[in-house]
Amino acid sequence: MEKIIEGQNITFSYDGTEVLKGINISISKGKIVGVLGANGAGKSTLLKILCGILNPKIGRILYKSKEIKNVSKREIATKISYVPQNSTFGFPFTVAEVVLMGRAPYIGRFEFERDSDWKVAINAMETVGIKYLQDRLITEISGGERQLSSLARAIAQEPEIMILDEPATFLDLKHKTEVMKLLKKLKDEKNISVIAATHDIFSAMFYFDEIILLKEGMIFAEGSAEEMLKEEILSAVYEIGVIVKKENGKIFVLPTE
Amino acid sequence: MNAKNKLITSISVLFLLWILVAIISIFTGSYELNPFKAIFSGDELSRTIYFRIRIPRVLMAAVAGGTLAIAGASLQALFRNPLAAPFTLGISGGASLGAIIAIRLGLGNTFLGFSSISIVSFIFSIFTILFVYSVSKVHGVVATGRLLLAGVVVNFLYSALILFIQFFSDFIQSLQTIRWIMGSLDIVELDTVWKTLIFAIPGCVILLSITKDMNLFALGDDVASSLGVNVGMMEKKIYFATSLAVSAVISVTGPIGFVGLIIPHVLRMIIGVDNRIILPCSFLLGASFLTAADTVSRTIFTPIEIPVGIITASCGGVFFLWLLMRMKKEVIV
Repeated sequence: MEKIIEGQNITFSYDGTEVLKGINISISKGKIVGVLGANGAGKSTLLKILCGILNPKIGRILYKSKEIKNVSKREIATKISYVPQNSTFGFPFTVAEVVLMGRAPYIGRFEFERDSDWKVAINAMETVGIKYLQDRLITEISGGERQLSSLARAIAQEPEIMILDEPATFLDLKHKTEVMKLLKKLKDEKNISVIAATHDIFSAMFYFDEIILLKEGMIFAEGSAEEMLKEEILSAVYEIGVIVKKENGKIFVLPTE
Repeated sequence: MNAKNKLITSISVLFLLWILVAIISIFTGSYELNPFKAIFSGDELSRTIYFRIRIPRVLMAAVAGGTLAIAGASLQALFRNPLAAPFTLGISGGASLGAIIAIRLGLGNTFLGFSSISIVSFIFSIFTILFVYSVSKVHGVVATGRLLLAGVVVNFLYSALILFIQFFSDFIQSLQTIRWIMGSLDIVELDTVWKTLIFAIPGCVILLSITKDMNLFALGDDVASSLGVNVGMMEKKIYFATSLAVSAVISVTGPIGFVGLIIPHVLRMIIGVDNRIILPCSFLLGASFLTAADTVSRTIFTPIEIPVGIITASCGGVFFLWLLMRMKKEVIV
């Protein structure tokens, strides 16, 4: 299977503290990959390195076998989109303006959006189900609606890879499920690869093709959801006793304490 | 209306506004000026007032007001905070201190064709913005409290140093400094306008060339970077260009406050927050505002002229408060 993005020996530290220690990772085209691990395991840093926001101190990132630091930032932006855990919005842009910003990598410095860019943005809002919010100010809507707007912006980027840092934070049960379904739909229909950090073991089970478990800046284990969601593995990763129960083909994970 | 049409419409309207204000300003003053007499007759006094005093002054007001407003809008984008402005961040204060030091040291000459006063003023401004930005940014986010505190402290420090210098000046020098600190446009000749433009134009052009990046930057450092913005480079361009433009203006006019804070705000209340529209419009509205304020400052107590800084601060402040109370839409985030 074609490898779309690879990280080789990624090592990264903040102010002398090593956060990632020699991680090797390779993501195939059209897969949904979950990155799980305890708080501070290095999930967010790994995602930022994979989309070229941070540069690893040691190691390299390859996009389709090309080293990412040799590709222009704008070109990368047409291939990889990123949705952060907490979106900041410094000024009260409208939701439509924010989603249109996803078209920025396709537009020249002194150009304005074309009608085709508007169409892409409107489609993205329809896909996420927030078209009715388009004229609202991003600073006036709820946290969940803001998260969906970020997601629409990332879709409007028309990327090959979407990298999401806890996409389901701030979302209620219904929206959480809808976002996961949406990512699966993007994978199925547009062959987009998705890499998402999450604490949600439950949705990991249903929607992720592969799971990477991080512990203290290293890969603890990786494999299919079924292989990873086992009592001994999860107990070791989260350092808490867990019970994994199977019922009607569904897996439930509960802490013993 | 899409962004492009919005830009064209608002620029046209604001440009016409500036033309109107400029014409009124040129023909208003303590000396009654008949436009036809000034241009077509050989009345030497009218011609002198018209070409040597009024026109340079109106042009300088436009350059100063426009530059301060565009710098204010850019700093607000950089700090992601509507309270940022050359005045509130202490950049104007830094430029003033630099200018006063240069004047007192007798650096009146030019260096490589540029005014030494502007150069020293520029060094102080860029130092101030670098300091305030690094102090107020914690873990990649500008903390409003730290930002305002840093601005206030820097302003106090600079005022103290300016007072210190003044303390050792003789009476005449001291009076000149005070008058200069109040912000004024009364010493202008056409030559001064060109000298200011040498710095102000490159500064404004750099800022206008990165308005798209400024929009993306509003979504946070990480998202802006993932959308193709070289965040570090954009920040450096804003430090450099605002310092260059603001110090060029302030070393001539003295610190004229509130233009950089109010103008972008008023525009955002009317036409939204897109920096591609806000920046060029800020220049035009800032130009009109300062030209109008200057006209008031030299006519309200004829024949006495009061410093324009007093007009911008009082009119601007009151107008802004009125707008804030009137607008229901919450613009300050």
